[in-house]
Amino acid sequence: MGEKEKILDRLRQAVILGETEKCTKAAQDAVDAGIEPWKAIKEGLAEGMEVVGEKFENKEYFIPELLLSAEALYGGLNLLLPLLKIEQVEAREKVVLGVVEGDIHDIGKSIVKAMLTAAGYEVVDLGVDVPASEFVKKASEEKAGVIAMSTMMTPTLMSMKEVEEQLAKKGLKGKVKTILGGGTVTEEWRSRIGSDAYGEDAVQAVDKVKMLVKEIKAALELVEKKRKK
Amino acid sequence: MREEIERVGQVKLVFFPYGKREWFKKGVSILDAAKALGIDLSSLCGGKGTCGKCKVKIEDGTEGLNPLTEQELKHITKEEREAGYRLACQAIPTTVVSVYVPERSRIGKQRLQTEGLEVPVKQLNPFVKKYFVKLSKPTLHDSRSDEDRLLDALNAEYGLPTDLDLDFEICPDLASRLRDADWAVTAVNWKNKIIDIEPGNTSHRCFGFAVDIGTTKLAGFLMDLNTGKVVAVASKMNPQIPLGEEVMSRITHQMMEGKKGVKELQATVVSGINEMIEECCEKSNVEKNEIYELCFVGNTAMQLCFLGIYGRYVAFAPYPPVLRRGINIRACSVGLTAHPRANAYHVPVIGGFVGADNVAVILATRMLESDEICMALDIGTNTEIDLGNKHLVMVDSCASGPAFEGMQIKHGMRAATGSIERVSIDPETLEVNYRTIEDEPPVGLCGSALVDVPAELLKAGLMDLTGKFLLEMAKETDRLRRGPKGILEFVLVPQPETATDTDIIVTQGDIRELQKAKAAMRTGAEILMKRLGEERKETLAEDDISKLFIAGAFGNYIDPENARTIGMYPELPLERVDFVGNVAGTGSRMCLISKEERECSEKISTTVKYHELAADKDFQKEYIDALYFPHKNLNRYPDTVNLLRRLGRIR
Repeated sequence: MGEKEKILDRLRQAVILGETEKCTKAAQDAVDAGIEPWKAIKEGLAEGMEVVGEKFENKEYFIPELLLSAEALYGGLNLLLPLLKIEQVEAREKVVLGVVEGDIHDIGKSIVKAMLTAAGYEVVDLGVDVPASEFVKKASEEKAGVIAMSTMMTPTLMSMKEVEEQLAKKGLKGKVKTILGGGTVTEEWRSRIGSDAYGEDAVQAVDKVKMLVKEIKAALELVEKKRKK
Repeated sequence: MREEIERVGQVKLVFFPYGKREWFKKGVSILDAAKALGIDLSSLCGGKGTCGKCKVKIEDGTEGLNPLTEQELKHITKEEREAGYRLACQAIPTTVVSVYVPERSRIGKQRLQTEGLEVPVKQLNPFVKKYFVKLSKPTLHDSRSDEDRLLDALNAEYGLPTDLDLDFEICPDLASRLRDADWAVTAVNWKNKIIDIEPGNTSHRCFGFAVDIGTTKLAGFLMDLNTGKVVAVASKMNPQIPLGEEVMSRITHQMMEGKKGVKELQATVVSGINEMIEECCEKSNVEKNEIYELCFVGNTAMQLCFLGIYGRYVAFAPYPPVLRRGINIRACSVGLTAHPRANAYHVPVIGGFVGADNVAVILATRMLESDEICMALDIGTNTEIDLGNKHLVMVDSCASGPAFEGMQIKHGMRAATGSIERVSIDPETLEVNYRTIEDEPPVGLCGSALVDVPAELLKAGLMDLTGKFLLEMAKETDRLRRGPKGILEFVLVPQPETATDTDIIVTQGDIRELQKAKAAMRTGAEILMKRLGEERKETLAEDDISKLFIAGAFGNYIDPENARTIGMYPELPLERVDFVGNVAGTGSRMCLISKEERECSEKISTTVKYHELAADKDFQKEYIDALYFPHKNLNRYPDTVNLLRRLGRIR
């Protein structure tokens, strides 16, 4: 293992074990060793977070471990993100994230935020009890392709429906894709309100967001092609 | 609960009132599916369709079933057929089907705990009282109205005020009632009203009915209002369950179905209550119209569903209830079968998530009168935690989820015949000992065993303090193994011993669910200790809590030490822990038979301070710390740490 590879591995391990100090230190070492920041993020932090995701999937890791890993991840990111080149920053897809109106449970949202950030997305976190109009407004302002919303309670599922309705009203449906998550959300509910995806857990949420972003890009390319013709 | 609509080659079955759902290979019969899930559906012939014992009602998805077989035509009557009944062994689903297993088709009756602490009331003083009077006949010298004649006599003999109202419903034939009874009548008095005139002396026959409307179960108590004693008890599953398994889904049902849904929920619960009234009356030879008052407790959502009130807003932050004060309505107006002019009283609530059931808990534990600080834990899908003394009681509520009721647990079930209720693991041999309800072969695990399992795994060194199964222990015992998707699981009972066709196991995922549930409760307690401490301008420690009342369905059956070992509640000496059972029912009975207790419940409703847990700044941190066994902060659990140290589990 070369020196640089060793540093990347330290980044991965620090995230996996949830060791913030070690992660920040490794990130600094990466910079000092001349590793490209985006490479340190992608092959270090993000790969570490992927392992964390797998461990969470097979129940070996639980919420505390996940949050510790997220903390370590942010420790590294805080150092590395400001060093990205402007075009690298712009290339990060944006996701607007929040807990829907009427609900204030946000542990799940914090986990999804960490997983998305690790996967390279820029997450605009709107917090909890977010009105439908706020989701739609922020998505336009930030030019975000994806709105991710969650709730833990049953009646507040209705607030998700309202976001869909407002998107439709503004003609944004399809341009802005939505993904749902949270304890009470089901695939059935997703299809009922016409949302674009449902993530059963944080790991799935990332996969689904990736899929949505791909769909958006494909649609844009199609438009582009038609225009060229 | 995650839901998918379709899976290739599979069908999904949902069983009520258990709330169990699972995917099965196409071609499975409802009976086989039920057995695989450990549902106690009875069948004597082994699925040949000859005994007719496994009748189930199809709630949803009838169109996705095979037509009735010849055997079914023999056993199922025309009425049953129209109501959607099938024999579980003959019905083969092809789509999603919801199945209701009626009581008579169950092997063992569910154990529905109704007993709760008996608390002496301050004064036996029911609102309904009966007075026997002999009236003088009218003469030319005494031509007072029948009404005055009655009221004057009641005043002369019993000192009742002369301005009592005669309920107008009894007025049309008042004259003949008095004369037919030859002027010897019993007046039934409720508050400032005479609600009935009965011929002769019936004053020894005066009954009331107290109800606890739980989200999953109903408990009813027929009470003799003259003695304040329970005459008969009944309990049953809340028949609203098919309309939504927990409070939020029921409110959602109201929202989705509008007025129709509101009415439907109300009619459903009322029919359940009426069945309990019927049962109690039959047991004790009491007529339904001898029940003159009813008293109800329930959480706020149940209050709304029972009274037929639209509850949408209680479900949205900041969760305001619609009504707070106690409510009096005429029982017959909601369809309750009792005396036609019986009053139904609903005990006041505190907040959107803290209902009359919790008022009843505070009432029955006398917390608001105590010098010493007490804590009460009413464990359910939502767990309410009360803390304080006569100066101030605070309460919060947490969504502990249904894990300890056996839901979302692989082999979890409600307490019923054949469910494992106790588990211990020998720390040396790692062998498992267990006990089932009624000593029947094991079907699954009920709540009390679900408290034992993590504690025993911890003590046996099979699991660490983060709740992770220790893979290296697989070398020591083949009970610990990898299941589907690589998820670790522990075999509690191998298949040959079980009543089902699989091993009874507990998975790493089950442990995670139990961690979430216990952490929610523990967080509720922790935050209250902090906030009450702030109110009292002192730091509140475990030692300041003189009593911990554990209320709720399975409270009486859990092992207090194991519950403490997993960190379900703060570490108190075990002798301070008091299991009080269904005290919501106790409180309902107290409010039925005593005016003073009813006043006290109104006071509780206005003075107990509600704290919104989810909005608390420390919630997330405390919750994460509470996910550990017993707690992240081990110095809060010195006795437990000592125990684990003795066993060599921690250094």
